[in-house]
Amino acid sequence: MLNRRDFLRVVGIGSAGAAAGFALAELNAPNPARLIPYLIPPEDIIPGVANWYASVCRQCGAGCGIVVKVMEGRAKKIEGNPIHPISKGGLCARGQAGLQVLYNPGRIKNPLRRIGERGKGEFQEITWEEGLTILSKNLKELRDRGEGDGLYLLTSPISGHLKLLLKNFMNAYGSSKYFAYELINYENLRFANNITFGQNSLPHYDIENTNLLLSFGADFLTTWISPVNYSYAYGHMRQGRPGLRGKVIQVEPRLSLTGANADEWVAVKPGTEGLLALAIAYEIVEGGYYKGEDRGKWLAALERFTPRDVAKVTEVAEERIIGIAREFSKTKPSLAIGGENVSSYENGVSNLVAINILNYLAGNNIGISGGIIPNRDIEKSSFIPVNSLMQDASKGKIKTLILYDTNPVFTTPGAVKVEGQLKNIPLIVSLSSFMDETTLLSDLILPTHTYLEDWGDNFTEPSVGYPVATIMQPAVNPVFNTKSVGDIFIHLARNLAGVFQKEIPWTDFGAYLQASWKMVYNKHKDMKEIRETTFEEFWNNLLSKGGWWKEESQAGKKVYISVNKITPYLPKGPASFDGDDKDYPFYLTLYPHSSYMDGRGANLPWLQELPDAMTSVVWGTWIEMNPERATTMGIKEGDVIEVESPFGKIYAPVCLYAGQRPDTISIPIGQGHKFYGKYAEGRGANPLDLLPFKVDERTGAVSHNSTKVKITKTNSPGRLVKMAGWTKELGRDIVQTITPEEFQVKEG
Amino acid sequence: MAGFLDRLLERFKIYREPGYYKRYDYWWAMVVDLDRCTGCGACVTACQAENNTPVVGEEESGKGRVLNWMRIERYVEGEYPDVKVKFIPVFCAHCDKAPCEVACPVYATYHNQDGLNVQVYNRCVGTFTCATYCPYDVRRFNWFTYKDKGSFESPLDEQLNPDVTVRTMGVMEKCTFCIQRIVAAKDRAKDENRKVRDGEVIPACVQSCPSKALTFGDLNDPNSQVSKLAGLPAEPYYLRESGSKLAKISKNPRAYRLLEDLNAAPTIIYLKRVMKGSSTIGHE
Repeated sequence: MLNRRDFLRVVGIGSAGAAAGFALAELNAPNPARLIPYLIPPEDIIPGVANWYASVCRQCGAGCGIVVKVMEGRAKKIEGNPIHPISKGGLCARGQAGLQVLYNPGRIKNPLRRIGERGKGEFQEITWEEGLTILSKNLKELRDRGEGDGLYLLTSPISGHLKLLLKNFMNAYGSSKYFAYELINYENLRFANNITFGQNSLPHYDIENTNLLLSFGADFLTTWISPVNYSYAYGHMRQGRPGLRGKVIQVEPRLSLTGANADEWVAVKPGTEGLLALAIAYEIVEGGYYKGEDRGKWLAALERFTPRDVAKVTEVAEERIIGIAREFSKTKPSLAIGGENVSSYENGVSNLVAINILNYLAGNNIGISGGIIPNRDIEKSSFIPVNSLMQDASKGKIKTLILYDTNPVFTTPGAVKVEGQLKNIPLIVSLSSFMDETTLLSDLILPTHTYLEDWGDNFTEPSVGYPVATIMQPAVNPVFNTKSVGDIFIHLARNLAGVFQKEIPWTDFGAYLQASWKMVYNKHKDMKEIRETTFEEFWNNLLSKGGWWKEESQAGKKVYISVNKITPYLPKGPASFDGDDKDYPFYLTLYPHSSYMDGRGANLPWLQELPDAMTSVVWGTWIEMNPERATTMGIKEGDVIEVESPFGKIYAPVCLYAGQRPDTISIPIGQGHKFYGKYAEGRGANPLDLLPFKVDERTGAVSHNSTKVKITKTNSPGRLVKMAGWTKELGRDIVQTITPEEFQVKEG
Repeated sequence: MAGFLDRLLERFKIYREPGYYKRYDYWWAMVVDLDRCTGCGACVTACQAENNTPVVGEEESGKGRVLNWMRIERYVEGEYPDVKVKFIPVFCAHCDKAPCEVACPVYATYHNQDGLNVQVYNRCVGTFTCATYCPYDVRRFNWFTYKDKGSFESPLDEQLNPDVTVRTMGVMEKCTFCIQRIVAAKDRAKDENRKVRDGEVIPACVQSCPSKALTFGDLNDPNSQVSKLAGLPAEPYYLRESGSKLAKISKNPRAYRLLEDLNAAPTIIYLKRVMKGSSTIGHE
């Protein structure tokens, strides 16, 4: 219960938050005058009437524009920004649940210092001044000892001016060790795109305008790259063009949500997707659909991969491969994409290259509407393979590790044993809003704002064919005693003085952001798209619109792919798996769950209680298994089974799912947190514990689909809570359908 | 007492006369395009955020006591490898001849002048009859005062929408078509002396849908987005007459209503999914 004084306090602070969008000066002022708020009512607050602030969602890397509904200083609802080119007004469940990130009871409320043994979770509350002094003292000593390169900074992949600030800080400090890590990353895809299209970035896949989408394990409707934008594109492709309805073919061992929406599901044998792509490529060239002069060369390069031979390996019928190849070549425009599932084998890059060339061979779908529209070049990502980070840790190279928004203890394969390696680091500082597994191991915790309390910006990759910049502004004042991550580094720079003062002279991150955008404005103000005559006007429009983008024609340049250059990168055979076929009969497919992603969403109760799209399970981990296979093994739904790989074992209940190959089991990633607030802790199992320390050698991205497992029925207690009952319609005609032919005729 | 009941029945009869709806300005309805719907569940969370629906936890979920006002149903056809999974979002259909309305002994649920099936929480005594009568299984019962059970543990309660009540134990609840948004739009329109514009009211689920599968609007307005998608004739009122199937009157070959044979005259209009190897009738 709020007492009257608390009520006044909350309302008072809220009024400052509401004004923050327009008056920077309000940001850092817990103004005592505002403790009697409605005596002199703030200009822009009317009780009961909402203010909406445009910002950007940070629940995944897609960079959707959002608007936050704020009433009396409290955030009430997040919606998609209707004019934003990425989200187009829509927002996924994770984006909606951003409010529970802000108001999560599990947030760290004050800076903390470790007092007990590391990992015991004994911390003492300290002030910000103390916390920042401890850190700056450590940094000063480190630099004075000439070990500046021992400062490591590990963040999630961030973009925009925060990244620039962190880079400037590290440069000024004299450390080159600024890295980004995330389990679900697109390094393999960037690498493959560089090989095939000569661009080390994620292109815009124009699903919206394509007529045939051939997707190899890309679950683009839930987690892959930019799900909200792709969902919009999917809806448009299906029903947004009168008389024209695009078709989707999904190739994957486990029927994902995207697969369920596709017209055809190709249940390929795990690890052979790349070969299937090559067989389709062979048929495209052999069947004369590829018209290039180097046709002979291509044929020679692909001759090992005839549909007849590949059919045996992939368990996809020869006629079906030929059929797909013909349809893919004849339909214009067509588009082939390779997703998380295929890039997570140990030969992920090769698979993606094989899939990429289909777009080239079937009539150069690159640079055209409905195909692949290459992005402008972006700066190289600062992704670090977790193995090199661990090597540095074990060699004692890391003196001080600063972590921001990343949880490697949870999101790396069990065999990496990050926890043990972190013991070699003298000082671990975590800038985090939540007490996750990695933060618990740190010595100093400086709690950060969530994205609804902070300034920032986001330069979206892959964007939508033209550059999109989205501004993040504080929708509410900080709920707890936290700081903006930008402010922390600016404060550190002030404490360290010297060269930092010259490099980072700003008072706070908001001012830095505004100054940076002023530079952008001054550089580009002569562009005809910028109509604002002063920067103030430009900045205000930026904040009210939510960002800046310029719609451009999407036509791009054509590419030429040389056979000789590409051949070394093509898959040589099926992906290899850890665990031999006899002892470990099941392939293991791990997928980022649509609600929890890599585990970060597990502490949000709305997402825990949102039934899984395919199985309707809530509040736990489950193991998806083919019903017939389970019956032959005497396993019923809800039975707890032991899943064992050569590297570890986990226990979870079985969920029978017909969209599963008999030789494969699938487990969603995201549950099994040891520490992450009361909604996530001790719930389900973390399937990453089953994985070996295996990466794609070319990029260092974790191969989380390269393991085989065996399963044993146990009598362990466990619970499968499923929301759906019977999944048969029993003649009730609930989801009615018409065939594509009927649809064409009737739409006429 | 008898006089009161007679008067009430008399009024109920008048308002149930054929054509009564012509006297009202709006007839709110929703169109769900199943060919656009991906089953992602964004709408479910959006609804929960807008309508202060508590999270009930694993234990209560296991007992089937989740309070989500809408759900995605999934139907699995066929065996591996010829498996088809179909999704359908189901919410209160605001039936014109709602079975729940005749069931309630205390008139806690009734039909309002905008064609909405409304639930009055203050009247509800929790007999559960409406939920038993509802063919779409969309009514949800508060077994507890979840606020006291820690469902909105501080500071999660800061998020609660002030425009929507937080319900307590013993009360039946369900989708309202985000009536708070409808009322706000109507107030605004009244201030400006006009009718609510098409697209001015957007319920939370419709707003969040990434693939734009949901459309909300006024069926009384022949030019509204819902009327066009539903393919209804200019005078769509006989949609409410008994026995008329949507397929007979709609110009959209894909339009149908859920469990139409039950004759509850739901105002949610679904557009059939386009799907190979499946036909309108005769599957599992």
